[in-house]
This record gives sequence, structure tokens and C-alpha cells, in this order.
Amino acid sequence: MNEDFSELEAQLKALRPAPLRESFVTRLEQAMSDPAAPADGYDKIIRPVQFRTRWLVGLGLAAAAALLLLVRANFQAPQGEKRVASSSPEPTVAPVRASEGAIQNTFIPASHTEVVYHQRDEGLLFAHNSDQPVRRLRSLSRETLEWKNPATGASLCVSYPREQVELVPVSGQ
Amino acid sequence: MKDREKVMDNVATHEDWRVCFSEVGPGLLLFARQWVQSTADAEDIVQEAFVRFWRRNHNLANRGLLYAMVRSIALDLIRRDSRRARREAVVVSESEHSVEPQLQLENESQQALAMALQRLPSDQREVLVMKIWNDLTFAEIGEALGVSQNTAASRYRYGLAALRKILPAQ
Repeated sequence: MNEDFSELEAQLKALRPAPLRESFVTRLEQAMSDPAAPADGYDKIIRPVQFRTRWLVGLGLAAAAALLLLVRANFQAPQGEKRVASSSPEPTVAPVRASEGAIQNTFIPASHTEVVYHQRDEGLLFAHNSDQPVRRLRSLSRETLEWKNPATGASLCVSYPREQVELVPVSGQ
Repeated sequence: MKDREKVMDNVATHEDWRVCFSEVGPGLLLFARQWVQSTADAEDIVQEAFVRFWRRNHNLANRGLLYAMVRSIALDLIRRDSRRARREAVVVSESEHSVEPQLQLENESQQALAMALQRLPSDQREVLVMKIWNDLTFAEIGEALGVSQNTAASRYRYGLAALRKILPAQ
């Protein structure tokens, strides 16, 4: 592909863009001379501080929910153990069953999966009061945590969607 | 004394942006017009991008970012107002000749060239507009579009080749 396009380029360069309208220049002058007025759309930028705060709150809530589920599962296990021991008609066998139950009759983590089903590059933006541009990458995923009780065969599954926004610094020239 | 220096500094800055904008303004407007049909919308986009860019940079050293901002704001506008974009697309298809001119056309061959330009795929056209009428380097174009320098150069060459093919057919 070594065609010579110099003639075509010259023809294109001979075309001149339409001149700026006087009203536009006046409007721009007003916008530039008004330091208090932020440019339109300024508020739509996701500030890194806000983003970090919201993300941390979300992460904290998710961790708390997972912890609660685990704690609840562990609390239920000893109750089941007592019931088995007290209702057992053979005391000599009961401790053996109880110890087996103590191992088996609990919810233990079985699996953890994270499926990223959508990723999007949302382009460049400027963070608040920053000269350096960042690229915003949004990814949507679903996390699934599963616990199983080997004694009863019961399983507990928690699945929730997750949206992650990454701000990747872009190096300027 | 300090106040006077401050005032002089402001005046100098004020003049600076005017000089810079008079150089890049028409090309920027042409670049923005690729996504919107009316000059008024393109002016809004360019104004927003330029004000934001100038307040942070105070010079045009990193022009690729300025064009990236224009592009980003234009695409945001389209996404925000897709209904209006559809409406505009209908209006354009119904009355192609009523669209406000983007280039100063002096003869029929220039008119044919401008029309051929409109028929290019958008990814090639935007590279041509940035290179021909805004004098950006391929590195700057790559930065503005989030692609490599080689990709920008390839799109430019493909655009010129496509333009050459379209032209004799008209």
C-alpha cells in the first residue's frame, strides 16, 4: 500500500473549514472570562475520591453480608450437634455420632465463582482538579459463593451482581 | 505592584487563548461536526471542551487530549440524546442539501470532494479531518482516539484510498 496520495492531500488541504461565527467567539469569550462557571458536563465526571468512597462502601457491605452468612452457618452447627447427642438412645455411640456431626453438620465453603460478562472502555476523562487524563473501564460481573453441609446435603448459595469501574491513568506526551 | 502583574498576566493569558483558538477553532469545529448535524451543537461541544481543556492546561502543547475531549463530549451528547440524534438523522436523510456547510467550497470539484468525504467510514473520516485540517501528528491522533500510531496512519491511508475510489464514481 505505497500509493502516492500527495495530489489528493493537496486537493483536500485546499478546502478550508467554514470560518467561526462571531456569535460563537463572543459566547466562548464569556465562558472563558467567567472563572466561577464550570464547563457544562463538569459534574458528570466521576471524581476518584467519590468513586473510591462508594466502591469501599459497596465492598464493605458485601464483605459484611458474606461474614454474616458464614457466622450464621457456624452458629447453627453446634445446635444440631446438641440435639443429636440428647436424643440418642445409646450414650456409648452418641459421642461418636456427635463428633462425626461436629465435623460434617456444618456449612463449609464449597465454591466461589466470578463471571465477567461485560466490559466496556468508556474513553478518556479528567478527574477533578487533575491535569492527567484517565481512561474509564467499566466491567459487569456476577459473583457466586456456595456453602455445603456434607451431613444434610443442604447447600447455601449467594449470588450478586458486581459493577466495577476502573480509572486507569493515561500517560500524556 | 503585585496586582498590576496579576492583571497583566491575566491579559496575556486572555490573549493567548484567543490566538490559540483562532488557530485551532475552525478545525475543531469541523471535527465536532462529524457527530452532530447543526453548527450550534458543534459549537457547544467545542466550547465545553476548549474551556475545560484551557483551564487545566493553559496551552495547546498536548493537542491530542483536546481532540479526545471534543470526541468524548460529542459521543456523550449523542448517547444522552439518542432520540434527538435519530430525529437529526431523519432530517439529514430527507434533506441532505439543507445541512449547513462545514467547508468553504469554491467550485464543483471541491463540492464533489466534500461529498466524497461524507461517504467515508467514520473511523477513517475522523483521522482525515484531524490530519488534513488540524495538522495533528499520527501520534497525537492515536492518543485522541485511543489507538496506536500505526493504526491511525493505516486509517489515514485507507481513507485516502477509499476517497480516491469514490471520487471517479461521482
